[in-house]
Amino acid sequence: MADPVPPILDDEHAAFVCGGVSISAASCRSGGLPNMARATGCRVSADRRSITILLAATPSAGLIDDVRRNGAIAVVFSLPANHRTLQFKGNDARIVPLEAGDQALVSRYVQAFAGGLELLGYSGPLIRSMLACPADDLTAICFTPSTAFSQTPGPEAGNALRSGS
Amino acid sequence: MKIKLDSIRACLDGVIPGTIATCGADGTPNMAYLSQVQYVDAGHVALSYQFFNTTRRNILANPYARVAVIDPETAAHYRLTLQYLRTEQDGPLFEKMKAKLAGIASHTGMAGVFRLLGADVYRVLDIERVPGQTIAPPPPRGNLLAALRASAEQLCHCTELDGLLAQTLNCLELHFDIHYAMVLMLDAANGRLYTVASRGYAQSGVGSEIALGDGVIGVAAREKTPIRIGHFAAEYSYGRAIRDSLERSGVAPHLDTEIPLPGLPESRSQLAVPIRAGERVLGVLYVESPQDLRFGYDDEDALISLAGGLGAAIQLLQHAQVEPPDSTPAAARRHAPAGGPPVQVRHYAENDSVFLDGHYLIKGVAGAILWALVRDFADTGRSAFTNRELRLDPRIRLPDVSDNLEARLILLGRRLVEHQAPIRLDKTGRGCFELRVERPLELVHIPHGA
Repeated sequence: MADPVPPILDDEHAAFVCGGVSISAASCRSGGLPNMARATGCRVSADRRSITILLAATPSAGLIDDVRRNGAIAVVFSLPANHRTLQFKGNDARIVPLEAGDQALVSRYVQAFAGGLELLGYSGPLIRSMLACPADDLTAICFTPSTAFSQTPGPEAGNALRSGS
Repeated sequence: MKIKLDSIRACLDGVIPGTIATCGADGTPNMAYLSQVQYVDAGHVALSYQFFNTTRRNILANPYARVAVIDPETAAHYRLTLQYLRTEQDGPLFEKMKAKLAGIASHTGMAGVFRLLGADVYRVLDIERVPGQTIAPPPPRGNLLAALRASAEQLCHCTELDGLLAQTLNCLELHFDIHYAMVLMLDAANGRLYTVASRGYAQSGVGSEIALGDGVIGVAAREKTPIRIGHFAAEYSYGRAIRDSLERSGVAPHLDTEIPLPGLPESRSQLAVPIRAGERVLGVLYVESPQDLRFGYDDEDALISLAGGLGAAIQLLQHAQVEPPDSTPAAARRHAPAGGPPVQVRHYAENDSVFLDGHYLIKGVAGAILWALVRDFADTGRSAFTNRELRLDPRIRLPDVSDNLEARLILLGRRLVEHQAPIRLDKTGRGCFELRVERPLELVHIPHGA
């Protein structure tokens, strides 16, 4: 049976979150203490109904633990060049196995993100260090975005995402 | 070992924007970017509150937050666990963050979008070093403590204010590698700061004034706190501050008494540090650079310490005993009689402005001092004066007893030199000087309302 609700992401959003954007995720421990981690790549399923972020497990231990407990996640994507920022939240986040090609995806991501920042005057080696992840530490978290927001600074910040925003 | 907030301050200036994670009352996490994390003290930071957004809603419902910051030189990654305490909407912390945010906004193309509504103060509960790859830091620019020590040693040899100010500017150049600097003194009664010494500018700008609260200098003096900006910010640039203060002062247009404030036209880093004696602000030490992010928290600390020593020294010199001229008594000195065409000295009672042959020289207290000196010289031929008698002279109307008369005399002396005026003030001993007049004087007094 076909799902009557269209996916939150349109094609353009999917291209944006898979581009050279900064990716950070937040979770929540019971009791209200948040955890956070930086991701080093992202892929979107063919039907655009799920987002998978790739991240180093060791520095993300707290977030991974929270995700295992309650599945709640918020992931923010921001393009430094123009500050365009999107946030997606879901309640079914789970640790999933890596797919073939994920390591290559991470390499391409680091290249794209560091390249964009170098154009803005940041040090490439610095950014690559910040994103470095040992191959055996790479982990994937998949979730179905149930809400989405534009967080580009300005009067529209915090508004629910519309197509093309 | 527990990581101290003091040791990671370089991560807080937002070179690599920080992020903040919060949780809503229902347990929904949220993530947002931070334009700045302000170091408050060893146990507190403040975050900018600019919009009523999810982060704001969340911390009001649940005060715990986590903030990630990254060292801009090594990529070392830290996570701070924070507890929201309160929001400040004015005062030193707010003004510090407002100025810094203006620089950040302008640098990131967000001028007009970023506006500080409040400084959210958080207690730092924990700092965690996040495992990850780092790179070696670049060699340090210099040792600020060594610079401070060398400066302190040199400044303690200064026996009068003029030399103390000059030596301070020398030390900034020599030991701190800071090449654009000025010292302004506060005229508290009139709510203005006037430049007494500067370094690095084509025009010294001595005598230029700025209103309390204008630009980084005026805000630093008003709030008694250092103000530091790491990028060009139009709203804190001095072209504008001067224009605004001119409009407010409402000076009659025929009295064009504006001396331009020195300053880099597109200053990218600015740091203004109040010079204090106890609780009282005596003035401001201001440094700037054409380079982005030239001054960090450590520079701020070093200059606050330097300004602390400077404030104590100024206070001490102000109370130093008068030392009579070392050689011949001034009264016995005879100069060649003034020759050449007379110079017209015109004095406007309205604001004590003085014009020499129609060119603006000085106004205010320094103007009143000059007028009293030349009157005495013209009336009685007197040329030797002491600071102490001027302080008590009713014609000079010092704004308050603690006013730094010596600074006014320095200002007046510099203006006379810069104008190549045929009138000079020659120091003859500590607290004593002689008026040297090289051309006949024609005194013109314009009474108030004339």
